[in-house]
Amino acid sequence: MAGAGSGGTASVPSLPPPRPKSPPRYPDLYGKRRELAKVQMLEREIGFLEEELKSIEGLHPASRPCKEVTEFVSEHSDPLIPTIKKSRRSCCFWKRLCGSSCFNLSWICCWCRCPRMKMPDCCNCNLCNCCPSISCSIPKCQCFSCPRSKCCRKPVCKWSCCSLKCPSCFSCSSCSPCTCTCSYPRCPKLNCSSCCKKCCCFCPCYFC
Amino acid sequence: MSVAELKERHMAATQTVNDLREKLKQKRLQLLDTDVSGYARSQGKTPVTFGPTDLVCCRILQGHTGKVYSLDWTPEKNRIVSASQDGRLIVWNALTSQKTHAIKLPCAWVMTCAFSPSGQSVACGGLDSACSIFNLNSPIAKEGNHPVSRMLSGHKGYVSSCQYVPDEDTHLITSSGDQTCVLWDITTGLRTSVFGGEFQSGHTADVLSVSISSSNPRLFVSGSCDTTARLWDTRVASRAQRTFHGHEGDVNTVKFFPDGNRFGTGSDDGTCRLFDIRTGHQLQVYYQPHGDGDIPHVTSMAFSISGRLLFVGYSNSDCYVWDTLLAKVVLNLGSVQNSHEGRISCLGLSADGSALCTGSWDTNLKIWAFGGHRSVI
Repeated sequence: MAGAGSGGTASVPSLPPPRPKSPPRYPDLYGKRRELAKVQMLEREIGFLEEELKSIEGLHPASRPCKEVTEFVSEHSDPLIPTIKKSRRSCCFWKRLCGSSCFNLSWICCWCRCPRMKMPDCCNCNLCNCCPSISCSIPKCQCFSCPRSKCCRKPVCKWSCCSLKCPSCFSCSSCSPCTCTCSYPRCPKLNCSSCCKKCCCFCPCYFC
Repeated sequence: MSVAELKERHMAATQTVNDLREKLKQKRLQLLDTDVSGYARSQGKTPVTFGPTDLVCCRILQGHTGKVYSLDWTPEKNRIVSASQDGRLIVWNALTSQKTHAIKLPCAWVMTCAFSPSGQSVACGGLDSACSIFNLNSPIAKEGNHPVSRMLSGHKGYVSSCQYVPDEDTHLITSSGDQTCVLWDITTGLRTSVFGGEFQSGHTADVLSVSISSSNPRLFVSGSCDTTARLWDTRVASRAQRTFHGHEGDVNTVKFFPDGNRFGTGSDDGTCRLFDIRTGHQLQVYYQPHGDGDIPHVTSMAFSISGRLLFVGYSNSDCYVWDTLLAKVVLNLGSVQNSHEGRISCLGLSADGSALCTGSWDTNLKIWAFGGHRSVI
């Protein structure tokens, strides 16, 4: 009231001068969360790496897996691997023999048993089926048994031919039968007989 | 914690990660007492030699009108599925060269294809970020197209590679440009597991390739543009079992070695490498220097059934056959008679290992088989 009574001299309270404000500082939640996630990921990675560093202490040197690779490769046959050149002549020899139908030549049966002479796998005719009735003088091995495996009975079209493995020692004391195994037992159901006769079954069926 | 503080923590953590990686690298180097070729030489192994007619092209599969990008063999029968820029999948009888199916795709930008273990269906994926499944026995729709029997959607980037889990027609693993791999349940069309991703421990760039171990189908490896390959266990999606460093470029292709304990990688740095999954050691580098200074990228790879041969396609149209034991190139399928006229973009071995199929930008697929003499046992 006092102010009002003092007449026109009373000053009107002035408005504060305009002070433009910057927008309120909202927290950048998305960026912060993202950054936090990245940091957590890195910290987890640090944990994994420390774990790996510890586990590496007891590791074998590389020579051990290298040995395993070499052994695995050597133990498995491969239908795409070519011949050793020096064996080609021998293969051709067997191929010629196998080209004709099974013939009863006792001396060949006896050769089959010679540990130094092995039949190539391209020759999978039933050559040795003639054997049991024949007695060979060199070497003596009456208990020699010839392959009866289905895959070796006759030349059939195969992507990979059978491997005929004869026992390494043919003495009668340790006479074990020949074994014939098909590394790749599934043959395509396709009549390739004419082709296989021509090439002695060493070609894959894609050539038929 | 403020964003600034977080950034500081981020920088410190990155530094620690780099230091630990360097330490690991040094430790590993100490354990590399030899490589496969050094060991094989010490054992007196002699290189494989190929004559001019030993590995020959015996079939040409003609029918695509665009670049062939991907192929896959059936596990049991002699069939191949191929995917091409012409927007079609073609299923071939590899023995007769005949086409049994030609599937026009809803999205022509296909990058990968795969045969299911039973041979009943095929899968493909590409720039549509989805993986489409086609049942080969389903009736053809009125428009003459094969209907999509299942669409697997969920990736946020292109699908670069797909492979069925061995012996399971209902599960498939895809890799993608969204930095993840996904295990799918095809019956439901849902993701069973996602491997990696933005906030997961996984690849930090596009994933380009996957390979599932045939001996342990729970394990698979992936190759990525982050220059690493990672080993995953499908039961543990949260983190990779192991990360394999060494490449200096994108890892374009990964493939398990036949024994299931190792895998190969092929990269933009021009090398293929063999890694051991149990120890993490890099066992061998396969690299052929080029005189002109240009390093061709590795685009595709496959091991022969024994693991002795490694077939590698390069961006310069070469296709080397490596002797894996002695790390020597024994043949270049890109320069033999009847070779492709364009880049070999994909290749794969038949299930029994007796034939190799190559797909090329020249629109053809070729089947290569052994035409020479066998070795004496």
